Formats: sequence, C-alpha cells, structure tokens
Amino acid sequence: MAQRFDVLGLIGLVLLVAVWQLLTFAIPLIALPHPAHVAERIGEDFIVADYLLFYGLPETGLLDSMIYTTQNVLIAVALGATVGTVCGLVTARFDLIRAVIDPVLLVLGTIPILVLAPFFLIWFGTGRTSAVLLVAIYVAVILYIYAQRAASTLNPVYEDAAYTLGASRRRVVWDVLIKGTVPQILGGIRIALAGAWGLEAIAELLGAQQGIGKIVQVLAGSTDMEGIFAALLVLGILAVVFDAFTARFFSYVSAWSVEARTGGG
Amino acid sequence: MARAADGRDVIVASNLSRTFRRADRQMVTALDDVTFGIDRGQFVCLVGPSGCGKSTLLKLIAGLMLPSSGALEVEGESVTQPGPERGMVFQQDSVFPWLRVIDNVEYGLKCRGVGRAERRKSAEFYLERVGLSHVARAWPRELSGGMLKRVAVATVFANGANVLLLDEPFGAVDYVTKRNLHDVLLALWTEAGSTERRTVVFVTHDVDEALILADRILVMHSGRIVDDLAVTAPRPRTTDGLMEPTMVRHKHVLLAHLGLENLQGDAKAPTGGEGTEP
Repeated sequence: MAQRFDVLGLIGLVLLVAVWQLLTFAIPLIALPHPAHVAERIGEDFIVADYLLFYGLPETGLLDSMIYTTQNVLIAVALGATVGTVCGLVTARFDLIRAVIDPVLLVLGTIPILVLAPFFLIWFGTGRTSAVLLVAIYVAVILYIYAQRAASTLNPVYEDAAYTLGASRRRVVWDVLIKGTVPQILGGIRIALAGAWGLEAIAELLGAQQGIGKIVQVLAGSTDMEGIFAALLVLGILAVVFDAFTARFFSYVSAWSVEARTGGG
Repeated sequence: MARAADGRDVIVASNLSRTFRRADRQMVTALDDVTFGIDRGQFVCLVGPSGCGKSTLLKLIAGLMLPSSGALEVEGESVTQPGPERGMVFQQDSVFPWLRVIDNVEYGLKCRGVGRAERRKSAEFYLERVGLSHVARAWPRELSGGMLKRVAVATVFANGANVLLLDEPFGAVDYVTKRNLHDVLLALWTEAGSTERRTVVFVTHDVDEALILADRILVMHSGRIVDDLAVTAPRPRTTDGLMEPTMVRHKHVLLAHLGLENLQGDAKAPTGGEGTEP
C-alpha cells in the first residue's frame, strides 16, 4: 500500500510541475518564473549565492540557510512541544491549574505572529532566540490543545485498572497517561511541525541575519522572482521530507493504535 | 438483611453508606447503611436492578471510591485506596491498548517488582489457562470483545489477588461467549482447591449468570441489601442442575426482587431463600 501511495504522490508532483509550466505561457516570467530556471537557480545558489554578498550578507548559500532554518524549526518544535504537552497533560487532570493556564495559552495562540514578532525582536534581538521563541509559542499552543484533549478523552478505566493492579501514581502517569496519549500527541507534533516551517520563515523575514526567510526578504526588494522561488521551493522540500520521516517514525511508535494503522494521527 | 459479619470473613462492611451530589446539586444515596460479611473463598454474586448501588459497593471494596460513612475492612484492614490484593475486572474493556497482550497480563507483576523471567512465566501460564497463548504477542485491538475479557481475567489471576471484584464483566458479550467465559472463570477459581480459593464478588443483573456462578447471592435494591440467598447446588452446574426445584425457587425469588414476578401471587414460589422479606 505504502509503495502505491509513493507512486501516486510522484504523479501528483509531476502534475504540479506540468501545471506550473503551462501557467508560464499565460503569466509573464517576471511574475511566474519557469520551473527549469528555478531548478537551475537552486543549483547555482546552493553552496554560495553571489547576490547575497551584494546585499551585504556574508558568503553563504541555500544550503547554509536551510541548515539554519531547519535547526531553528527543530529546536522550536522540541521546546514548544515539551512545554505544550506537559501543560496539556497536567491541566487535563487538575481543573484549578487548567483554569489558570487555559486563558493565557489560548490568548497567546490567537495573537498574529506579525503582532508578536516586533516585541520579540526588541527583547531578544535578531538572532536565533527571537525566531525560535516565536515559533515555539505557536507549537506549544497546538500541543497544549492536543495533549489536553487526548488526556481528557482517555478512558478513566485505564487509570483505575492500573491502580487496582498495584501501580504507583508515578507509574500511572508514565504507563497510562503518557503512553495512552502518545498517538494524539504525535499527531499534534506533526501538524505543528508542518506549520512551523512557514512561521519560522515569517520570523526570519521580519528580522534575522540568516535563513531561508532572510534570503526571501533580501530578494523581495529586487523582485528577483527566480531567487525567491528557489528559496521557497527548498523550504517546501524540507517540510515535505521532514514530514515523511516523522510520519514513518510516528506510525512505528504508535503501532498499537487504530489511528496509526489507518495512516492518520 | 444480610447476615452480620463473623470472624471468618475476608470482607466486612458495617453501616456502609455512600452519597453523591448530582450535577443539579441534589444528593443521591447510592448505598444506604449496608452491613454484611463475606467468607474467605466464597463466590458471591451481587444482583439487583440497574442503579441499585451494586457497582458503587464494588468500587468501595476496590478502594476506587471512599465511603461517606461506615466502615469497610478487607483482610482486617480498612480500605483507603486501591491495592493489588483486590483485583478488579471492569465492565468496560480495561486492557491497555498500548501494551501487547502478554505485557498486559504481566503489568501488575511488573508494578510490584517481580523479575522479568518469573512474570513472563506466570503470564504465559494464565494466558494458556484462558486459551489465548496464540495471541500473546498481538495488540489488543486485534482481539475480539470476548478475548479481551479473557485477557482481563488472566491479568487479575496472574496478579495473585486474594479478592477478585468483577463488575458486570461479561455484560457486553454474546450468550455463547458468556457461557465460555463462565467456564474459564470457574475453572481458574476452582483449580486452586477449596482451601486456597480466592474470594470473588461478582456484580451482575443476569439472574441465570448468578445462579450458575454463585455460592451466595446478595440481592440489592435502592442502595440496600434486601436478600441473601445461599446457593448450595453442586458444581459444575449443568442445564439440568439449574432446573432442580431449589434453583427454580431461587430464580423466582430473584425475578421477584427485580420486579418481574409477584412473589406472593406466584404459587410455585413459596417462601424463597433465607431472609426473604415477607
């Protein structure tokens, strides 16, 4: 089954490129560059992109930017997911703490990144910290909701059963509360990760020294469409590749659940 | 109505009550001043209509709930929390979906620090006894409802509890599966020999199930124990055995308590069991 889906996915990609190619006949190249030119551009800019020197950036290329952006995304997801999951699980079991944390995190999650970003740039500068914290907040909110819902819907009979079998409180937390919510939490991480690439790029656009978003920001001023497309395309490829790996790993970890078997979660 | 406790009892309840506050703030008495004792090694069925407090009583014995008033002792110790000496099979499926079948059966032993080899041996033994050796490495989601009940039964037996509490465990399975599960349960319970037998408290609303399984049937109604029947028919109880006059009489009494028959008006059901209310 998995192999058949891979083939279908490939067909989808080919179709996408074909549509893109067709559109270039109708839309001027200044607005929509040719796929072949973009591919060529990725090759040229991969290690060292000359134009970046022109805009005052150190000698760098797409590869360095990809590594920088990827590192930030992974740190932000790890940090945000840990905080969000712990808060979500705790609040699902303690109403009092939930009453305190719920409004804070949920309001935080509704603030647009464009509003939040300037404050972070002032507080933490244009380095890694700002971007990572910005993304981590949104990841934490998503995981908070996922973990809380997972723990709330976990049938209480499992905890009762564990206690009657002689499990300690600590064991019940680890063996029931955490293990029993793993598939939904991993599902939340996957969704948060998918969104994190875009958020990280926006964070870099708004103020950063490096990264894919920085390249896009630099080129946007010069309307270098090929360069922008090349940068966005490698970002998209990164997101797809990481999603494929996490999906495979997560379905292995939650092999026991029905969700994993049907390819969801 | 149940006879008071004496020295041999493994479970002793005195003036046990439990009230709940409903969402509309009204107080509901689920268990109303209940006093009884249960002998070591006895198979006791709690029978009553739904909402009569039988599940509440079982949860109190399990320690999953605390009484509002009164005292409850198991093995001479006051019940304040759940413990492995009181194993429980729940009405819902309680087999952990995230552990393989054999790891589920081992779980209690693992919690209590039993070594890997020893607990595996014990789990394999009980899985074999309930006829599930072939699915030891399967995930619970791959098992049928009846098989999951067998896993739950194997788990409490493997965990070595002296008191087994079963809360309508076979309520959701079909008739044939239920009869097979009775055989599995009784085989595990009887094989220990009459001196080593575990004490079983089995909640059900199924009159026939109670008559097949029980040494003694406690009938509950509106939070009180209203009758206490001793079922002395020999085991194993066959279809013919269930048609013996004493068994038929018990059945009439039980049906009357459930509101399905009028005891006084029924000529075939004279005085009923000991302690029946006039």
